[in-house]
Amino acid sequence: MKKLLIITIVILIGGAYSPLYAQKKGNKIVCFKSDMDCSHCEQTINDYLKFEKGVKDLKVDHASNTIMVEYRQGKNTDEDLAKAIEKKGYKAEKISMEEYEKIFQQRTEHEHAKEQHRERKQN
Amino acid sequence: MAPILSYSDEIKGTVYANDVNGKQPLPGVNIYWEGTTRGTASASDGTFSMWQNNGQHMLVFRFVGYKTQVIHVHETSNIEVLMEPNLEIEEVTIIKKDRGTYLSVINPIQTESISGAELHKAACCNLAESFETNPSVDMSFSDAVTGAKQIKLLGLEGTYSLLQVENMPNLRGLATTFGLTYIPGPWMESIQVSKGAASVLNGYDAIAGQINVELKKPDAYEKLFLNAFANADGRLEFNGNTNIRVIGDTLTTGFFVHGNQLSKINDHNSDGFLDAPLAKMINLGNRWKYNNHRGLMIQGGVYYLQEDRLGGQTGVDWNMEPALNSPYGVNIDNKRLEAFFKTGFVSPNGKNAFAWLSNFARHETESFFGLNNYSGDETRFYGSAIYTKYLGLFEEHTLNFGASLVYDNFNESLYGRDMERTEKVPGLFTEYTFKPNENLTLMTGLRIDFHNLFGTFVTPRMHFRYRFADHFTIRTSAGKGYRTANVLAENTFLLANSRPLQWSEDVMQEEAWNFGFAFIQNYTLMGRDLTLNAEFFRTDFKTQLVVDRETSADFLRLLPLDGTSYANSIQFDVRWQPIERLDMLLAYRINDIRQSVGGELKDKPLQSNFKGLINFNYTTNLKKWMFDYTIQFNGGGRIPQYPGSVDAGMVSFDPYTIMNAQITKYFRYGSIYVGAENLTDFTQVDPVRGADDPFGPNFNATNVWGPVMGRKVYIGLRFNLNYE
Repeated sequence: MKKLLIITIVILIGGAYSPLYAQKKGNKIVCFKSDMDCSHCEQTINDYLKFEKGVKDLKVDHASNTIMVEYRQGKNTDEDLAKAIEKKGYKAEKISMEEYEKIFQQRTEHEHAKEQHRERKQN
Repeated sequence: MAPILSYSDEIKGTVYANDVNGKQPLPGVNIYWEGTTRGTASASDGTFSMWQNNGQHMLVFRFVGYKTQVIHVHETSNIEVLMEPNLEIEEVTIIKKDRGTYLSVINPIQTESISGAELHKAACCNLAESFETNPSVDMSFSDAVTGAKQIKLLGLEGTYSLLQVENMPNLRGLATTFGLTYIPGPWMESIQVSKGAASVLNGYDAIAGQINVELKKPDAYEKLFLNAFANADGRLEFNGNTNIRVIGDTLTTGFFVHGNQLSKINDHNSDGFLDAPLAKMINLGNRWKYNNHRGLMIQGGVYYLQEDRLGGQTGVDWNMEPALNSPYGVNIDNKRLEAFFKTGFVSPNGKNAFAWLSNFARHETESFFGLNNYSGDETRFYGSAIYTKYLGLFEEHTLNFGASLVYDNFNESLYGRDMERTEKVPGLFTEYTFKPNENLTLMTGLRIDFHNLFGTFVTPRMHFRYRFADHFTIRTSAGKGYRTANVLAENTFLLANSRPLQWSEDVMQEEAWNFGFAFIQNYTLMGRDLTLNAEFFRTDFKTQLVVDRETSADFLRLLPLDGTSYANSIQFDVRWQPIERLDMLLAYRINDIRQSVGGELKDKPLQSNFKGLINFNYTTNLKKWMFDYTIQFNGGGRIPQYPGSVDAGMVSFDPYTIMNAQITKYFRYGSIYVGAENLTDFTQVDPVRGADDPFGPNFNATNVWGPVMGRKVYIGLRFNLNYE
């Protein structure tokens, strides 16, 4: 149990703390624009991609139609990940990190504003 | 109409549930244009987006447990929809978060929801074993030979809880003793445990609470599921189910298979008795669902089960005849056929709903315990029609009324005595719910039943929930409950003892009041939800069937209560994530259960006086691995003695600890899990008294208070394929 806790803490501090900005050494991030139109599609892609080789973190969002994958360099390639998405029947148009952040930010800002509104209401 | 809507446009919005913390995003809501089948579902954060064609304005939002909403769409973005819980006719809260157990704060009844995620936490071969990580439900063995398991809620036997499968009473009568093992774990979708008085819509039976099991639905995304399981004692299990979409998601069907077997002789404590009976069981099912997505839903199905178990001394064999010169054997053979049919219709304006629920069961049992034969058959029918009306501008009033019918025919035979009876119980019920705002719910119910054996009786029940401040919710409940005690059918395991059973009536009615109070606090600590719960329940019996193991040296007696009987239960629990993805549950409960036996008020025997539970569940990022650890602290209790008993000194047992752990590794199309039950290998000393002379006067395998089986290491595989 104690060992598990230590491992957990190491993972937390060392790795997946904020995958959007802090990427682990030796890892590569690739972003895609896709054409999912339901939350179930999001689930399908998420469940499929997480078991692709070398995948360490993943953000699939159907509302902004974006996919972000962090993977171990050398274990996989951007092209193979795109193919995996296409294999499930969805578009995988590679976009830059900046474009991704822009699209994603637009949506999350909107969410964030609502979140703050909610907190204000509660306090 | 504004010209901007004259072409196809994308609309966006978010669906929220009206929860105690205000609005919570609600994932998985079905969203479609009225009169069409074009639709989508909300994402994990409650958001949705879909295309709007010219002329489409009415958007329908539908989710199990919530009232259906129809919204006139004026804008294309930022649409906010608030779903109000509709707990009165559909199943209680199922919030599709991947959280294991969930303590509802919206439901006026104190309810814990055990999701599919929780069911993955333990070996979970069947319903009986699904409560290992649950603080409220205790699981124990009824005796040391039959392998029968019973659950306790509020410290009271499972018979005092109304057991339902998909909101219809089930697994009672002849199925009481082994029924919990009749629902395979992988067939279940979720379980709801409600404590205290239940809604009158479900009947008069719930005394301590209600346990509802939802099975997998044929219109789910699962296409094929296979599961194989083996443990070190030689138990093998197989489960499979498949869903077929006959007409899209309108008409669907599901097939279910379960088989299990134990053919290895295990006698770890070397008392000459099998630790677990040899067993073989097969269970098959087929169900259908029709949903026109416009308010009409019809479901029906058939299940068949056959099981054989053989316990007793290690020399037993399947073809043995009971005789003094044979080994002591217990052979139980059960066959069960079940069918159900239910339908629901919601009017287009969402203000009226009608539901019909019915099930049927035929059960046959043949058994012997040593030299005694017990056989029985039961034919049971249940039907209930419920009409629901929502009143008021904001639907702040809900009125339910309806009628139900129970028919139950029994034939039993023991000690050469044949017994036959039929219960016929038509009933009428009504329930009114007042919910002026999201902070307050008042629910009152009344039913009147016309019993052919016990006469007419009235069942009043009341529930009140109030969130009086941001972080505080209280709930109170009070209600009466009645139950038909099938004196022998529910207690056959008591035959594993040298004293013959003595009973005054074949059937009797039990009657009790239940009062409950709960105080729940919700906070956010370090960015993660913290829930603190404190609750108190009291059950007072007016009439009860008492198992008297202690006043007579010649008989084990089943008698009506003469005196007092009550159960107090106080529980505290804390749920939190100390670090991300590590769920923690701490719980502690005190049981104070007393009953008059032979004119003296005593602690209920074989019952732990407290229970503590700690559960940790950790998943790695992306949930590729899952780790589970549970430790249970069980209090001590009293061991019943009778005059002249050879164990006259053994009057109590000490507290003991049980540990379970499991590791699950997920793959793209399935998972592997390895675990151990009862890690510390703790077992009760001498669960079978007089084991060296089972036909002699001191034989007793019914004084069981702790685990009969030691450490069990197991491994399992799951394979699943989904519709995309």
